[in-house]
Amino acid sequence: MLDFVVIFTKGGVVLWNSNESGKNYASCINSLIRGVILEERNTESKYFEEDHLAVQFKLDNELDVVYAAVFQKVIKLNYLDNFLADMQSAFQEKFSGIAAQERLAIDYEFEQEFRMVLSAAEEASAKQGKAPKAMRSYNESQKSKKTVASMMHDDKKATNTTEKRVNIQESPPASKSQPASPPRTNEDIIQENRRKLREKLTPTKKAAVDVKPTKQSATDREKEKAGKKPRVWDLGGNSKDAVLLDRSKDAPEDVQLQSINNELVGTMQGRIRDLDVESDSDGADSEASDDSEQEEKQQQQQHQRRTQQQQRNQRKAKSGGLLSYFKGIVGAKTMTLNDLQPALEKMRDHLISKNVASEIAAKLCDSVATSLDGKQMGTFDSIANMVKEALTQSLVRILSPKRRIDIIRDALESKRNGRPYTIIFCGVNGVGKSTNLAKICFWLIENDFNVLIAACDTFRAGAVEQLRTHTRHLNALHPAEKHKQRTMVQLYEKGYGKDAAGIAMEAIKYAHDTKVDVVLVDTAGRMQDNEPLMRSLSKLIKVNNPDLVLFVGEALVGNEAVDQLVKFNQSLADYSSNENPHIIDGIVLTKFDTIDDKVGAAISMTYITGQPIVFVGTGQTYADLKAINVNAVVNSLMK
Amino acid sequence: MDKLNENVREKKEIKLDNIDVTPILAALIIGFLVVAIFVILRRRSTGRRDFLLTGLTEAGKSAIFMQLVHNKFSETFTSIKENVGEYRSGHVAGRLVDIPGHYRVRDKCFELYKRNAKGIIFVVDSVTVQKDIRDVADTLYTILADSATQPCSVLILCNKQDLTAAKSSQVIKSLLEKELNTVRDTRSRKLQSVGDDEVNKPITLGKMGRDFEFAHITQNVQFFESSAKDKQLSDLTDWIDRMLY
Repeated sequence: MLDFVVIFTKGGVVLWNSNESGKNYASCINSLIRGVILEERNTESKYFEEDHLAVQFKLDNELDVVYAAVFQKVIKLNYLDNFLADMQSAFQEKFSGIAAQERLAIDYEFEQEFRMVLSAAEEASAKQGKAPKAMRSYNESQKSKKTVASMMHDDKKATNTTEKRVNIQESPPASKSQPASPPRTNEDIIQENRRKLREKLTPTKKAAVDVKPTKQSATDREKEKAGKKPRVWDLGGNSKDAVLLDRSKDAPEDVQLQSINNELVGTMQGRIRDLDVESDSDGADSEASDDSEQEEKQQQQQHQRRTQQQQRNQRKAKSGGLLSYFKGIVGAKTMTLNDLQPALEKMRDHLISKNVASEIAAKLCDSVATSLDGKQMGTFDSIANMVKEALTQSLVRILSPKRRIDIIRDALESKRNGRPYTIIFCGVNGVGKSTNLAKICFWLIENDFNVLIAACDTFRAGAVEQLRTHTRHLNALHPAEKHKQRTMVQLYEKGYGKDAAGIAMEAIKYAHDTKVDVVLVDTAGRMQDNEPLMRSLSKLIKVNNPDLVLFVGEALVGNEAVDQLVKFNQSLADYSSNENPHIIDGIVLTKFDTIDDKVGAAISMTYITGQPIVFVGTGQTYADLKAINVNAVVNSLMK
Repeated sequence: MDKLNENVREKKEIKLDNIDVTPILAALIIGFLVVAIFVILRRRSTGRRDFLLTGLTEAGKSAIFMQLVHNKFSETFTSIKENVGEYRSGHVAGRLVDIPGHYRVRDKCFELYKRNAKGIIFVVDSVTVQKDIRDVADTLYTILADSATQPCSVLILCNKQDLTAAKSSQVIKSLLEKELNTVRDTRSRKLQSVGDDEVNKPITLGKMGRDFEFAHITQNVQFFESSAKDKQLSDLTDWIDRMLY
């Protein structure tokens, strides 16, 4: 039944295994480790599937060992939980006496115990399977309970239905009020009230309203006199208006207006800077002196903080070394889940107060609990400290990217291959997709890539014009003369109401033909529940096969982050008919300057997708784009 | 009362006269020994005596670790935690640390051990190196550019030579040099801007204005071929022994 049972250390060394079929299951176990254990997802049932295989596993924190059993997915094995637990106790009984240094050296003879445990577990499950077939006694039968129980049952039913009714009555207004409330902010209401008040107080207004019709009627009379005339709209699209309407060429006065921000040029060269490093401007820039002083102070403070931290770390290391001599002498205690519960509760609340989505906070704490359960605790360790340490570790692990992110390197590579590097931006409305697209565009230009922006937001009024303005700005900052007569930014637009996927495709083709290095595709913002729009996004991605799909999310978001990302990922996977669909590759976290130390959204988003935060938007100018600094974020979370 | 006082005084006088020096001396000696042991232990722990096995995941670090420390070949999976063991050769010993290669854990783990590193062994999978060259070079650059690793010696171990598709160490060297040149290019500007941080300041590798070569950097970099499966690790053990003596 079990194809493969293995016991391996957390360091990855196989201690013992039993292989029934003779196949190699290494890749299956490796994807278990990478997909579940390293992602801190070991709470959601210790079960993992790959192809036709399923793995059930158990972590042993006392010996730092993992037990895993691989079996065919189609077979339902209900005794595995008990079996793994029994195997753990048998293994511990036999080998827990071995010193830590010797654990890897010896050969483990476990075959006999394994057979015993396995047959016991199989027997037990077989018994269980057979048991219901035995005849029931009268006492067990339903009839014996009927007289008394039937009444109670009815009662329960009644209460249930009433509850349901209450729910039904309550839910509709709640769902209605939710979508209505966000646009009506306090200010709106106040203004509305004021307007009403004004109307009441000033009767002259009414008079004015009354006056209007008379005026209109007067003009009407005039019109009637002159006979019917064709109505002429301003800028209605005559051939005469073409000159005025044509915005494809920059009017010279526009360019002059826009060249104010020139000091930004050159600040974003090279890789994106880490978050905690203040953007230090060149000395040539004439910035206010107090500004630079502040910066210096901040730098000093940072420096001090860092050295303090290091000292603390060193001290910690020293004390750890000292204490470890005693640890061997004084007896150690093992932690149980019950001991951990209060500390975990506190940590969960703390995380939620830092704006981590509550679901994610709970999952994280569960994961920490499983990683600490059964661990040896020294006499000098307190549970709160252990929990904090473990949580910090798993937060760092979550935020650390699971692959290399170096957009410049990859863009260079595709430049060498003679094709454009394509990035698609998606996200809900109003999170800053276009703004951050412009920032990223600026960063790419500073690093000597020329960029084509594809305006695929064919829906929102003014979206194309916004991008055009950005293009003009960026071209003013980096004129073609400075870059060997290359136009650094171009906009590919086809107006409103067209199919976004088609425009993106044409844009990429155009970029390919004109040797543009990078294509940035701006899509329309969409709510995650809007199925037709999600379908079209999925189509856009499927058709164009971009190198990178970035999800733009704002750092202000709390519990909503989970819903947004899960649904985006889900619909990208569902609606694309591809075998392995292209889902979100990375996250752009915007409005990071507005949240102080409540950086929980970063954790929520990375936890759900398992993808890194590639860019962080930290302000209004083109230069306010940073890379995330894992340690800084974790520090402000654990503060 | 008087009597009692006199008694006490008498006793004291007696004690002062034939005072026993040996317990005091013994206490002093023991105290000195404890301090000495403590100092020695601390110096041992702060000195650079570790050898770090680094590299991408599935390069064969854990297998090499098992070969060197426990002298046996065992199947390995992706490491979640580091492996630490004592490497013995003759009467000298060094600590060998196997850093996990997975992105999620390796930076934190490397951070932990890099200050005690005497030598760094960068293990490369000779078969997949061409395909993964960007990741390999990026990881190697991060390690080489770290200010804490400047006094270390670096050994680049081209593992899995038992497989037929394996690239030779010469090919890997030229591949890496070419790719590191690009990595330096994409990173170089960032490196200058972090000038305010003295301790963690990453270092620009090689000579500016010239193509990157391993001969240009401060660490002594050597290339060896090996195979953990066929127990061809003599180059590696020789290298470690030379550093230990």
